[in-house]
Amino acid sequence: MGLWSFPILLTLIFLRVPIGLAMLLVGFFGTWLVTGSWTPILAQMKSLTYDTFSSYSLSIVPLFLLMGQFATRGGMSQALFKAAETWLGHRRGGVAMAAVGACAGFGAICGSSLATAATMGQVALPELRRYGYSGALATGCLAAGGTLGILIPPSVVLVIYAILTEQNIIKLFMAAMVPGVLAALGYMLTIAIYVRLKPESAGQRERAGYRERFAALVAVWPVLVIFTLVIGGIYAGLFTPTEGAAVGAAGTGLVALFNGGLNWRGLGEAISGTAISTGMIFFIVLGAVVYNGFLAFSQLPQETANTVATLGISPWLVLLVILVCYLVFGCVMDSLSMILLTIPIFFPIVSVLDFGLPAEEMAIWFGVIVLITVEVGLITPPVGMNLFVINSMAPDVPLARTYGGALPFVLSDLIRVAILIAFPVITLGLVRLLY
Amino acid sequence: MAGGAALIAVLLLTVVSIIGRGLIFAGLGPIPGDFELVEAGTAFAVLAFLPICQFHRGHVTVDLFLSRAGRRPNAAIDVVANLLMTGAAGVLTWRLYLGMLDKRSYGETTFILQFPIWWSYAAALLGAGVFALVCAYTVLRSLDEARDTQRTRKITSR
Repeated sequence: MGLWSFPILLTLIFLRVPIGLAMLLVGFFGTWLVTGSWTPILAQMKSLTYDTFSSYSLSIVPLFLLMGQFATRGGMSQALFKAAETWLGHRRGGVAMAAVGACAGFGAICGSSLATAATMGQVALPELRRYGYSGALATGCLAAGGTLGILIPPSVVLVIYAILTEQNIIKLFMAAMVPGVLAALGYMLTIAIYVRLKPESAGQRERAGYRERFAALVAVWPVLVIFTLVIGGIYAGLFTPTEGAAVGAAGTGLVALFNGGLNWRGLGEAISGTAISTGMIFFIVLGAVVYNGFLAFSQLPQETANTVATLGISPWLVLLVILVCYLVFGCVMDSLSMILLTIPIFFPIVSVLDFGLPAEEMAIWFGVIVLITVEVGLITPPVGMNLFVINSMAPDVPLARTYGGALPFVLSDLIRVAILIAFPVITLGLVRLLY
Repeated sequence: MAGGAALIAVLLLTVVSIIGRGLIFAGLGPIPGDFELVEAGTAFAVLAFLPICQFHRGHVTVDLFLSRAGRRPNAAIDVVANLLMTGAAGVLTWRLYLGMLDKRSYGETTFILQFPIWWSYAAALLGAGVFALVCAYTVLRSLDEARDTQRTRKITSR
């Protein structure tokens, strides 16, 4: 029964039914079929909606989204790019590297990839073109850089993963930190190789003096303060993750206010942007809760896990299959829906496998690897949202050029996933050190 | 907009509560029951946000396979999807209403502030009701759009 729901669900989703609605419908009617009566699902629905939407751990999501909205309006993207540009810009491919670096910095106050790509694109794309960077490289590096938004904490997708698997949010944030920095360095390395192979794709920028460099660096202090306050405060136990998100949102809001970017109209836009994203995410969450309730009734996740365990396949092979699934689905689906849809199935499976790690460390390590793998989907054709967002800002660059420009970065992502799988200590080192 | 106000209220409440907690030595303290208020506020905000999301076509869909199917099949699917959404929103609102009646008859209250839980349910119900209405409106809107595509077809075929 549980197994049959997959093709139905996927058909609905591919027929362009909203993903949350598809999960809700399949879960609703599935529970009816499994239990043979309307009573259980209808009784459940009485409190399910309120319980889901009033969950304290989920209240972190709208607050982080609001923080991201304020961050995009706070002028911090300009400051970050300016700082990165004065330090890196004169190197070969340096302005592109600066764009990646600025994306990483922006990711530290924004938990969404699309917002990071869109905001940094607005700032960095004109500069990249001004210094003679090719359309492919300029759009490719920004689309890839945007994925850092969700990898570097705070990250909305990691919050959802933490809730689904009942893991500690802050440990997951800590675990994502080193892979996030590695991702930024990997992208910069990719740019360095790219411009050596295709020297005509990047132009020259004059070297900035040290006075200018330090002045630009000082200007990014709000980002640093907010990031330290939010992540450090949660880690030190000064406040709960939700409170941290509230502090972050208030902080970025204040910065946006004093930088002059936030007036009543801006505030209204920030709130309505938050409202749309929040509605979208929570509706998928509700659909996933109903669908997962049905899966639990059908006992599919446990049975699958047991079957996989008794088959005695190598754990690494299972992991590989799961990640390939994510890569394939990532081409057409957004990361959050994918996580909500698949983690309830895949997580029990990997939980029974032996990767030579304690249960909690395995959960954290798996979460970070899955996060990176689903993010690859944002920069792979045909449906890579980051590619679309950046491409729409550069009307003179054909979409195919953007696809081509993003490919080296996809390769860099895949290599990084392989490294993180081979050396769990890269992900877990910081967590082990701090706890 | 009421949802937005609720979200901002949740934010300010939390920040004030943290500051209060930080200033315990000065005789201040955290806002009592801040967790409960955050939960009730978030539930209301989210349900108030659902209609906005529906109105602005904010729900995530996978557009890959039907993007080349032409406008008519897509317009038809929009109508069906919006109908299904209206049905879902209707059931959701109906069950939430019954849930509210349950909570009221049990007289359930929150742990610290002791305010009746059915109050938060009633606030959430308001959002759910608007959600159902907006869904119904989007059905009409998509019907209108479907009719428009038909009309343009006729004009172009002429």
